[in-house]
Amino acid sequence: MKFIHIADIHLGAKPDKEKPWRKERERHNWRALSEVIRTAKAEQVQLLLIAGDLFHRQPLIQELREIDYQFSRIPQTRVVVIAGEHDYLSPHSGYLTFPWGENVHFLTKEKIDYVELEGLETRVYGLSYCHKNIDAPLYHDIEVKDGNFCNILLAHGGDEQHIPFESNDFADSAFDYVALGHIHKPMEIVKNKVVMAGALQPIDCNDTGEHGYFMGEIKDRECQVQFVPLRYCEYVPLNLKVSREISQSALEEFVASRIRVAPEHQKFRIVLNGFCDRTAPVDPEKIMSMDRVARVINRCHADYDFEKLKLQYEKQILGQYIQKLEEMTQDEITKKALYYGVEALMEE
Amino acid sequence: MKITEIQIKNFGKLHNINVRPLPGLNVIYGENETGKSTMQQFITGMLFGMEKQPEGTEQRDSYQQYEPWNGSSPYAGGLKFTVGDKPFFLERNFEHKEKSAKLVDEMNGEELSVEHGDLEMLMGGMKKTAYENTYCIQQAEIETKKEFVDVLQNYFVNASSGGDAEFDVPGAQKRLLEKKTNATSRYEEKKSARNEAVEKLYLEEELLKKDIEQLQKQQKDSHNNIFNQSPNAIPPERDTNQMAEYLRDIRQKKKQQTYMMRCGISLLITLLGLGLGIINAIYHPLQEGEPGWMALELFLLFAFLGGAGSVCHWFHKHRRLKLLRRRQQEEAKEINLSVSKDVERQKMQEKQEKQAKHEAVEALLQEQLAEKQTALINLQDEITETLKPTDSEQELEKQIQAYELANHTLQALSQNAYEDTRSQLEQEMSQILAEITHGKYDKIGLDEQMNLMVEQGAQSLPPWQLSQGVMEQMYVALRMGAGGIFTQEESLPIILDEVFASFDEKRLEATLQWLSKQNGQIFLFTCRHREMEILDRNNIPYGKIMLSR
Repeated sequence: MKFIHIADIHLGAKPDKEKPWRKERERHNWRALSEVIRTAKAEQVQLLLIAGDLFHRQPLIQELREIDYQFSRIPQTRVVVIAGEHDYLSPHSGYLTFPWGENVHFLTKEKIDYVELEGLETRVYGLSYCHKNIDAPLYHDIEVKDGNFCNILLAHGGDEQHIPFESNDFADSAFDYVALGHIHKPMEIVKNKVVMAGALQPIDCNDTGEHGYFMGEIKDRECQVQFVPLRYCEYVPLNLKVSREISQSALEEFVASRIRVAPEHQKFRIVLNGFCDRTAPVDPEKIMSMDRVARVINRCHADYDFEKLKLQYEKQILGQYIQKLEEMTQDEITKKALYYGVEALMEE
Repeated sequence: MKITEIQIKNFGKLHNINVRPLPGLNVIYGENETGKSTMQQFITGMLFGMEKQPEGTEQRDSYQQYEPWNGSSPYAGGLKFTVGDKPFFLERNFEHKEKSAKLVDEMNGEELSVEHGDLEMLMGGMKKTAYENTYCIQQAEIETKKEFVDVLQNYFVNASSGGDAEFDVPGAQKRLLEKKTNATSRYEEKKSARNEAVEKLYLEEELLKKDIEQLQKQQKDSHNNIFNQSPNAIPPERDTNQMAEYLRDIRQKKKQQTYMMRCGISLLITLLGLGLGIINAIYHPLQEGEPGWMALELFLLFAFLGGAGSVCHWFHKHRRLKLLRRRQQEEAKEINLSVSKDVERQKMQEKQEKQAKHEAVEALLQEQLAEKQTALINLQDEITETLKPTDSEQELEKQIQAYELANHTLQALSQNAYEDTRSQLEQEMSQILAEITHGKYDKIGLDEQMNLMVEQGAQSLPPWQLSQGVMEQMYVALRMGAGGIFTQEESLPIILDEVFASFDEKRLEATLQWLSKQNGQIFLFTCRHREMEILDRNNIPYGKIMLSR
């Protein structure tokens, strides 16, 4: 049996809200889903597993019609869907009343249930979120019913507020495949068995790296999966170590050159580290306004040698100031304050 | 530092004057308008330079004040002095267009740079404001100025450490505050932009809620309609013409009556014919054969026969009509019956259609309502998300907090730092004041804001609550005490320009005695003989410089 496992499609999400390419980004998730459908048709995939958060928020009827239309294009493929914490089943949820096509199976209970897929000799277990947060470990010790079936668990969550579970909870379970969703980074927790699909496409610029879906096949109760990337958008982390020799324009030029050679679907999340010349500090706003730069995190500081300064001005206010701030609990604010104070004292 | 020679080329009213003061106490005596203050200004001008204020400033500055009256020789002069026995020669041209300063180490003839702070270094880092607030007491300016608080604070902070660098703590604090203000305004800008977005979302929410209300109302109305609707008022349609039927019925009825009447008349004629015929036959039998009676008998017979025939005829007609009418009535009844069945069926159908229509409308309303409600939930989610500060806001918020922390830490540290120096200064001042006042006031201190306070008994008094004399003595004590601390590295000349005018004889004597015990060089400008007399009386050596008009 051939199957595709996707999760966290977040249809309707609006990434990069403050960026000129925001409109284009809004369409990426629909386009990616549409590509999955096309692939399912072309590859004669028999089962499409959607492990929660199909929608970013509560789906509208018109959106459900659209999605049902998409599913209707693959009548030979069974689609099993659960709701995640984003599109949870509120009492008004359109999911509950929508007349789905025959090939669509929605597990609407908030406790483990299963759907038996005739002809595939497969049972897909799962549950839907009826609340935004569920802190009970609902995936713990699921009883798999007897019968000669291929058993698949479709699950969403994994952190404290969203059905906590340990990855090895499933390692020895009776399921032939555990299709997970919720964490946006794709990973095979147990190879070919317990798989977090990751977001189909990145939802914000912190979802760095490749995103896509898992294509798999279960034969004689042996499962094989493979990650297939989709390239509508990818956020590439770019960590730059700044030093006092690098000027602002050199830095910008470097970033620009990296962007130039990168494939078009890539956008950049830049982290500036290291030390800059205290008389000419780096201006992150300028880099932020460059094309295809999604975010800039400035962690670089003026190049003060605090240890040396502390020794040199040991008894003076500067030395005392450094000493005092170093004695405080080190967090972002005390670190910043250290720089600011030293800067203000050293300034002419 | 000891000044060994004062060379005035041209400065205010003084020109071409050469004075060689003693290393210790010097009294410069001159009557009014002989140039005592001018000479005092010359000394500070030589040591710290003199800036011409930009044009257009109302205030007359000392540059203008001492611009030479006589323009023939340059606005310039020289000063010879020793620092730790090493002789130096300082020359200055005050003329602002050709301003220059030349400092020469006379031991080896090496020229030093005033511009690069060599002179300041020789003076132990003393700055003009500090000097003018301590050792240099100008006429009628014995009170220290406001900036002295900063000077003192900075001094305390730096002095306590003994390092060679100086840090401008109030300056640093000012810079921190400036940056904090800057970050705050950027933060506010971003925040207000976000708040605007939230407002917009709230507005959308409001509209959505109204839509929902509207839909709910519609739903309710349509629900009520189905039950309250009055039964169909329009009469059911029929194929028959009632009016025609009605008219026909009346016509037939009349006809029937006519037939009946005619039948009756015919019957009467028949009976009459029969009766009269019989009577006629009895009275006039046929045998008598009277032709008249025979004719009558015949006529009666015809009347009887005709009447009988007519009765039959009308009766028959009447009967037929009667049957017809009955049939018609039956037919009409039947039609009526079938019509009402139709109507019933039609009604039913209509009702069903209406029900279906109504259900469709209700379903549509329900869907629209559900859609709107979903949209509302999503919008509220978005509002919650937008209410959270953005990353850049959080970053700025952290920056603001960091600036605050830096500022507070500096404040706390500098307060700690000068706590020690302050108590040292307070001791020094108290000692001086005790000496000057013969022990009457022996405790003088500075409050949090660096204001002078004197303790008398259990009370703490500000100087202005005391007499002019005591107040001046307190300031002298403060200035000399602070000056002493400021010049620990290198002593500087003490300049006193008509300072003791309100001191009485005893306190002046005590003050002069205290001054004579100091190591530094002292310039005492006066227009009275009082000071010299006291010095003479106490056998205190001093240099005498006489200025004359």
